[in-house]
Amino acid sequence: MTQVARPAPERLDAFTVPSQPGNERLALARVAGTVQGRGLSDARLERLKTAVAEATMNAIEHGNGNRSEIPVEVEVTLSGADLTVAISDQGGQTHPGDDAPEEPDLLKKLDGDQSPRGWGLFLIRNMVDAMDITTDGQRHTIWLTMRTTGAAHDEHV
Amino acid sequence: MTSMCKATTRVLPGAAVIELAGEVDGSAAAVLNAAYEGVVTANADPADLGTVVLDFAAVDYINSTGIALIVSVLARARAERRKVVASGLSAHYREIFDITRLSDFIELFPDLDRAVSQVRTALTELKGGTR
Repeated sequence: MTQVARPAPERLDAFTVPSQPGNERLALARVAGTVQGRGLSDARLERLKTAVAEATMNAIEHGNGNRSEIPVEVEVTLSGADLTVAISDQGGQTHPGDDAPEEPDLLKKLDGDQSPRGWGLFLIRNMVDAMDITTDGQRHTIWLTMRTTGAAHDEHV
Repeated sequence: MTSMCKATTRVLPGAAVIELAGEVDGSAAAVLNAAYEGVVTANADPADLGTVVLDFAAVDYINSTGIALIVSVLARARAERRKVVASGLSAHYREIFDITRLSDFIELFPDLDRAVSQVRTALTELKGGTR
């Protein structure tokens, strides 16, 4: 059996933002600039921007508790056709909904049977080609992957 | 780089129009709720306002908290038997309205003129007019 060697991930960027509400806009703008010209259509770039913003918001609010002295770490890598953004905080297992996220149900929300909130993880899952969550001690990381080629199934937007 | 949400309101025959600008996120809650409250209660007969038009043409960012605010406005409007329509959403946010199923409950129009035109037509038909 022949093994096909995968190229080592290329780090495109790594940076931090202080855990202050609103700083998700800094993260999304920088990631958008980093991945520009890397083979994402405008529509898929918008999806990635939304996913990065939501994941960074979660890291700021739920992971680091809005404590500005604790940075949210963002790393952008390219491995073959996979563009991955890793967003890390120090929240450990404190993220609500990581294990068994309650699926948002709009009708329940409209009827008052479910909070109007709770769209973050749902949006992230629907925006990217793959999402993974890992926890290593206090370090909680969400991995957002977009394929830069061969993902034409949702290019209709 | 952020721009606070602003709202401009006006009342048309049969409809309240809320034109939003800037960012629809958690900081927009007071603005959006005050706009809805103001435009509904300012009308002589709030029962006449069968439709609330939310225009997003000047909105450059909506996040999950903003989606929750829109859900809350929709829930209140439904409880008051008002229809909510939206205009001016970008292709990306139209997709988000589809994914969240908001577009099942909020009719989407490309721009405010077409949304208002539809409201007027519906009102005319409701009153049996032929103008």
